[in-house]
Amino acid sequence: MSEENTDQVHEGEEDRFRILVCIDGSDESYRGLRYAAKLGGGVDADIILLYVRPIDQGLRSGGLQVNVARQNMMDWGIDLPGIRYLKQGRDLLCELGVMSMDWQEKFTHVDISGSTLGDNKIEYIGPGGKEVVLKLKVAPSIARGILDQFELNHYDLVILGASERWRTGRTKSFRDPAVAEKIAFNAPCSVIVARELSIGSGHLICTDGSPQSMDAVRRDAYLASRCKCPISLISIASDEESRPEAEKAVADAKAALDVLGIEVVEAMVRVGDPVREIVEAGPDYSLVVVSDTGKGMLERFFMGSVAFKVMETSYNSVMVVR
Amino acid sequence: MTDSTDVTEGGSASPGKRRKVDLKALRSGLKRRDPAKQILNRFRRNLYFFWEKRWLFIAFAVGAGLILMPLPEGMSGPAMKVLAMSVVATILFVTEPVPLPTVALMIIVAQVLLLGLDSTDVARSLMKDSVLFIMGSLMLAVAVVKQKLDKRIAFLIVRMTGTKTAWIAFGISVVSGVLASFVGEHTVAAMMLPVGITLISLTSDDPKKVRNLAAVLLFSISYGCSVAGIGTPSGGARNAIMIGYWKDFFYDPTNPETYKYLIDYMKWMMYAYPMFLLQLPFVTLILLFTFRPEYSDLSRAVVKLRTQIAEQGSMKVSDWVTITLFFLILLGWIFFSGQIGMGTVAILGAATFLAIGLVKWEDVNNGVNWGVVLLYAAAISLGVQMKDTGAAKWVAESFLALLTPIGADQGIGLWAAVSVLTTGVTNTMSNGAAVAVLGPIVLKLAVVADESPIIIGFITAVSSAFAYLTVVGTPACTIVYSSGYLKTTDFLTVGWKMAVMSTVVMLGAAAVYWPMLS
Repeated sequence: MSEENTDQVHEGEEDRFRILVCIDGSDESYRGLRYAAKLGGGVDADIILLYVRPIDQGLRSGGLQVNVARQNMMDWGIDLPGIRYLKQGRDLLCELGVMSMDWQEKFTHVDISGSTLGDNKIEYIGPGGKEVVLKLKVAPSIARGILDQFELNHYDLVILGASERWRTGRTKSFRDPAVAEKIAFNAPCSVIVARELSIGSGHLICTDGSPQSMDAVRRDAYLASRCKCPISLISIASDEESRPEAEKAVADAKAALDVLGIEVVEAMVRVGDPVREIVEAGPDYSLVVVSDTGKGMLERFFMGSVAFKVMETSYNSVMVVR
Repeated sequence: MTDSTDVTEGGSASPGKRRKVDLKALRSGLKRRDPAKQILNRFRRNLYFFWEKRWLFIAFAVGAGLILMPLPEGMSGPAMKVLAMSVVATILFVTEPVPLPTVALMIIVAQVLLLGLDSTDVARSLMKDSVLFIMGSLMLAVAVVKQKLDKRIAFLIVRMTGTKTAWIAFGISVVSGVLASFVGEHTVAAMMLPVGITLISLTSDDPKKVRNLAAVLLFSISYGCSVAGIGTPSGGARNAIMIGYWKDFFYDPTNPETYKYLIDYMKWMMYAYPMFLLQLPFVTLILLFTFRPEYSDLSRAVVKLRTQIAEQGSMKVSDWVTITLFFLILLGWIFFSGQIGMGTVAILGAATFLAIGLVKWEDVNNGVNWGVVLLYAAAISLGVQMKDTGAAKWVAESFLALLTPIGADQGIGLWAAVSVLTTGVTNTMSNGAAVAVLGPIVLKLAVVADESPIIIGFITAVSSAFAYLTVVGTPACTIVYSSGYLKTTDFLTVGWKMAVMSTVVMLGAAAVYWPMLS
């Protein structure tokens, strides 16, 4: 596939803060987009809106390609869902003042055989080189389509909407909710799974004192200062005996942030089951930040890590830092 | 403007002594790319690839296990191999680790390599009249959609029904249904979808305000099509598959007694068409009571739609030719399919559409999913092997032994069991595949239980349309879902009511109406 054509690597792209927002038309995905707008406010940030249309591999439509129906809809002048959702996202960004419709516009189209639309990309380039990109692509599955983006470009952050279905554990549907799960496993950058993402109420960073989690603390500090969000720290001790350890972890993290000149609003230590404590402390904040512990692969596959369990069961948005 | 000024601004807004944060430095500190980590990431993704394909390996392992296992009583070696192939194919149909046509290719290869059949025989077993019929019907479907008759049909509906939502919904399901019963449910769903969406979007721009209305109108299309798909053999591929199985399993040219197993177009319609008509009013009632649309009158949308349609002008010559041609094909199916085969009529029709130039080959080529033809060809070929090796009989006997203790080994109990089994299977895979897999087993089941294979066959073919619960269950649902107006949960909310209603109607037909015919 001539994907590279659509995604010419920009000069100095590495220095830009690039946020990939996956749009599927759900309220959660737009909530994630609002958050992205807040994080991506500066001129050095680009926001990429992505909608992936899966190719029908299961012969679900009984031998008549779904494209025939899509083509027919376009002939009637009806926007296809993907385009409708992306436009809605663009309008939201305009409304929030992140971009305006008079920006320079560039349209790229790549034909993919067996699809009416192929890959389409509209780039809006604003003053100072800030970019907002709408991208509609075709891929064998939604998760694969999103993951392929990372092969093409560098991203600092990916934001996905998690539907309520995922939390309640109904596993398989057409718009497979496990998509968020797959992306969180495999994305090479930090992942935000957006749920009830209220924007102003700060980040809760979970730390266990490990080098990875200290790294996560620093990385999130960068994000939090982008959106000017207050930061709180939490550490969980599994029992009273290991409490000092947890306290040290929090103190270390606080010290690290102090060096960077970032204020910590609250630092707490709790005792109990890490996953449950974090999930229960979560609702007071807009975002729970956990670090990918880098555990063994097999363990991760079976959702062994605290990070993934938190992501799965949390009531509010979770960021896995990588 | 740099990051640092950005943050100082923020800092000054919040009270407290805040040192200037050098974000650039902070960021570049984080940006170190660790090559070892990148390799690890790649490795992780490669491993993930295997994880995604795990069902392929599980299926093969199960298949190998079945073949290596000691033979159960009453089972021959080849029969076990065919059964193992069927089990592997079923697992792959349900879990889809590979594109489905790949399964068809594997079946063909396995017949030669595993069963040791002659490759010419395998190749010959792939193409049958029913497969040609499926192929021809699909080409006709594209040809019909491309004629742009949808606006005319929409006009017809609103002229007949007026502006009340309930009547429009009923009108949509009647017209969709009647058309779908002849040209296939997917065709009509593709044609009617823009009609439904236009009515919805003309009523309100905000999808949230018309959610229930959208559900009623769009489900009227998809369920109207789905209940109609059983009406005639051309309604769906599964019907043709069942007709093929009856002929392969029971028809013997030397024995006039077996001629009743040759079901032609007309005979199928006599069995199934009344059932479809009986279900239609229930579809609308169930939808209206489940979703309760926000608007009970759509006059605004209807008026706008009328002006849109008026721009089209009067019927063109090509429109009349299309309609005439389709009636001729229909007459061909009804009166000549017995002599020359349904497949031949379908292909003749497709050839005529192409020859007159009403449809371009490129459109046909892009619009038909040829993998379906391949899949059904291979699945039917495997089904016939199931019969020939005795595997189907063995499974049927074992299944019947399970049913006997609960008293479901005959009559209405057995019918219900077959229906439930089919409904369950069809909700997990495409309905054509479900009939292809289950067909040989249930037909043998009928023989073993001394029931009429025709009735049991109809129950299977008809129940395979009851996949109302999931988006992927029936082609019409998949197409309608692509509009983006429906949620997956909507299908569950209304689907179970539809499934219950259809099952009751079908069992009623099986008990009262069908025995009168045979």
